Parts: sequence; C-alpha cells; structure tokens
Amino acid sequence: MADALADERAFVGELVGDRPAAWDLAGELPVELLQKLGAKGILCAEVPAAFGGLGAGSLDNGELTAYVGGLCSSLRSIMTSQGIAAWTVRRFGDREQRRRLLADLTGGRLAAVAFSEPEAGSDLSAMRTRISPDGGGVVVDGRKKWVTGARYADLLVVLGRHGDGAAAVVVPADAPGVHVEPIAAPLGCRAGGHANVRLEGVRLPASSVLGGGGQPLSMLFTTALTYGRMSVAWGCVGIIRACLESATGHTKHRRQSGRPLAGHQLVAGQLADLLVAEQVSTRVCEHASRAWESGSPDLVIEAVLAKHVSAGHAARSAATAVQLLASAGAEDGHTAARAYRDAKLMEIIEGSNEICRLILADHALAGVD
Amino acid sequence: MTAEQAAEAAPISAQAVEEALLAFLAERIKTSVAVDQDLFGSGLVSSMFAMQLVVHLEEAYDIAIIGPELKLDNFRTVQAMTALVLRLSAARDG
Ligand SMILES: Cc1cc2nc3c(=O)[nH]c(=O)nc-3n(C[C@H](O)[C@H](O)[C@H](O)COP(=O)(O)OP(=O)(O)OC[C@H]3O[C@@H](n4cnc5c(N)ncnc54)[C@H](O)[C@@H]3O)c2cc1C
Repeated sequence: MADALADERAFVGELVGDRPAAWDLAGELPVELLQKLGAKGILCAEVPAAFGGLGAGSLDNGELTAYVGGLCSSLRSIMTSQGIAAWTVRRFGDREQRRRLLADLTGGRLAAVAFSEPEAGSDLSAMRTRISPDGGGVVVDGRKKWVTGARYADLLVVLGRHGDGAAAVVVPADAPGVHVEPIAAPLGCRAGGHANVRLEGVRLPASSVLGGGGQPLSMLFTTALTYGRMSVAWGCVGIIRACLESATGHTKHRRQSGRPLAGHQLVAGQLADLLVAEQVSTRVCEHASRAWESGSPDLVIEAVLAKHVSAGHAARSAATAVQLLASAGAEDGHTAARAYRDAKLMEIIEGSNEICRLILADHALAGVD
Repeated sequence: MTAEQAAEAAPISAQAVEEALLAFLAERIKTSVAVDQDLFGSGLVSSMFAMQLVVHLEEAYDIAIIGPELKLDNFRTVQAMTALVLRLSAARDG
C-alpha cells in the first residue's frame, strides 16, 4: 500500500471522523472542510509541486481516493470533480492559465465540471452549449445538468462548442447570468452538491477559455472523463473496502441459530465474494494507474475497464453488505445503506455500464481484421 | 522505422513521422488514410482515439502537447500532426 500520502490521509481521517452519516442525512457537506482539504492540495493531489500541488502519482492518488471513497462517496465525488478540473487545466490551459488556476485549485478554491446537458447525456457529441466571441471576450449560453459540487463551487469548468470545435471555459460561479439550481434529493452521494446550471449570456474575458479553445470536442471530453474514470474507479474500491469491513465485522460477532453469522456457509460464501470484488477492483485500478503513470495510449481504455469493473463490483458488493447486515445496515446514513445508494450511481456516471461496454466491445473488435 | 526509433534518430524527418503516423492509424483504426484526409470531419476518429492519438505522439516523440497546441487544426490530418511533432521536437531540442 502506498505511504506517499500518509499525512494527507491522516489529515482527512481527522477532519472527517464519523460525520459522513450526518452529512448524508443532511444532504450537505461543510464547505469550510472542503476548502481546508482544497488548500492542502488533497482534492486534486496529482497537481505537480511546481504549481502548488502535492505532485502525487496516479497510484498514490488512487489509494487516497479509495480511502476517501470508503469514508464518504459525497466527499470523494467532490475530489473527483476538483481533480478533473485541475487535469483539464493542466492539459488544455496555456502557461498563464495553468499557473493561475492550478494555484486556485490547490489554494482552497473549489471547482465543478459541467459536461452533461438535457439533450446530451451519454451522447456528449450532442452538446449545445456555445462559447461565442463577444467583443474582445466570450459569451457563454447553455444548460448543464447534474453538475457534482456546483453548489459549493467557486469555479465551473464548462465544456461547449467553440467555432467548429469545442472549448472548456472557466466560469466564476458568481458571474452574472450563472444560475445554480441544486438538485433537491439525489438518490446517492447525497451531500455531493449536485446542481443544474443555466448559463445565460455569461460574459467573460478571453483568458477564461482554456488554451484559447478550438479543440476537438471528443478530445476535450475524453481527456476530462478519463481522469474522472480513474477517480471514480478508485472511489469504488473504497466503497467495496467499506462494505467488506462492515460485513466481516458484523457477521463475525452477531450470532444466530447458535453460531456467528459468518459460521453459516451461505453467509461465508458472500464474504468470499466481497473479498474477490475488493481484490479484483484494486488490481484493475492499479493496472490502469500504471498505464496512466507510464503515459501509454492504452490508459484511455484501461480507465474505462477499471471504472466499469469497479463500479459493477461496488454496486454488487453494496447489495451484499446490506443483505448481510440486514436490519443493522438498513438505516439511512449507515455505511452499507450509503454504499447501496452511492454505488448504484457509479454505474451511471463517467460512462454508464452500457457506454463502457460499448467502448470495450469496440476495443475488442478493433483487433479483428 | 517505428515511431520510437524515429524519436532516437535526430533530427526526425517529416517523411518518417508521416509514415509512422500512417502505420499507427492503420493499426488502430484499421483504415488506410491519405496524409491530407480530414480525420475528424470524416468520423474516422472515435472520442477514445482522439485522446489516444495525443498520448501516443507524446510518448513516441518525447514531447508535451498541451494548452494551445491541442487545437483541432493541429490534429485534423496526418500532415498537420506531422508539422506539430516536428515543431515541438525542434522547440524541445533547440
Ligand atoms: C451522481 C451523479 C453525478 C453526476 N455528476 C456530473 C458532473 O459533475 N458533471 C456533469 O456534466 N454531469 C454529471 N452527471 C450526469 C451524468 O454524466 C449523466 O447522468 C450520464 O452521462 C448519463 O446521461 P443521462 O443521465 O442523460 O442518461 P441517458 O444518456 O439518457 O441514458 C439513459 C440510459 O440509456 C442508456 N444508453 C444511452 N445511450 C445508449 C446507447 N447508445 N447504447 C446503449 N445504452 C444507452 C444509458 O446507459 C442509461 O442506462 C452526474 C450524474 C450523476 C447520477
């Protein structure tokens, strides 16, 4: 296990404590806590030290993400968004934008990333949001859906059409024309601060457009999503670990029919399934992180594979954990109950099960003449 | 000559980069393309492949393609990508 971010892990553990259950019930994270984590660089740990970040590798940040995911998927989802924002700035921003925005993102300012639209969910090529020239600057018009963390964000990284290509524009959440409408009661990651965002004639300086824009839309969203997939995949490893810990702890001590639950073979079999899920998901995430660290073009497909495998295992493991804890895990706020709701949504975001399978099938077919 | 070998033998020639790129495209998208063919306009490049292309060029030629260099115009054709690789390698070595 990686020790590189041990101090950061301890810092998160200390700050979070036993509060995730209450955050889940209240549907809100304390924004000061997010700012504190942000100011330590923990929410986007892969930002290089030269830009004020922790300079973590993908494996170390993955283990940190799994740790946070095991505590609270809402908090982990904020980490995913901040990480995507930082990665997008690193890839697409010019020199000045990288310096300025990465300092913001490791200095306590919070970011959310807006891809999805009412007419563009799985099919992001149907995106309609427009970033148009306006005097010396740009004007942004569009509607975005289900933006994680938008409620807490200072900055919204918005993807849209730009000329005959696309661009990512960094929009201050308090700019005139930005309307953030929180989603009242999400099924899972309840404290993730999801919101629909309307952008109506939002005027911004040209320096808000990352790298001046004009990127291929597909390159822009795949680059951003690939980081998101790595982060969600590792977050799911955390969910599975929390389920395994909760289920083994419970079934070892609670007795029914004269023996510990774990002494019944039907129960023991499910504990084995949880262990398999944890190991398989960890390994596939490690594999993807190594591809990421070595800069191999295969990292794009490995990230999809890791996300798909881990999200599926997390959803099944969470159902297993609720089954094994039964009434003890059936109360909202409980680790198993949260995992059950949170993990289901992991099968939807950053490429749903179906979209991941289509991509993987394409990949399988690509090798056939 | 593979792209990796091309990167070793400085200075790299436009022809070598073009040939390596055509081979990479043929292998990955199972289509032979012309050097001036619009890859994005013709739907040949999937969203996955768009990013793989960038990472491939960075790895093969030891260059960083970031910020304003990631414009559609730099990736539209094999010729455009070749020019990008030559320019960034020259900047790195110069
Ligand atoms: C918890 C959560 C957090 C989110 N955070 C963000 C965020 O931060 N930023 C953001 O921009 N968006 C965010 N989203 C939105 C998310 O990206 C979309 O929900 C997702 O892309 C799916 O789009 P959709 O909901 O419109 O479903 P649809 O695209 O309408 O899909 C509905 C169903 O049809 C299936 N389907 C669709 N197309 C195909 C196809 N071609 N073949 C087979 N099956 C298909 C899907 O897999 C799915 O099962 C979030 C969503 C959730 C639930």
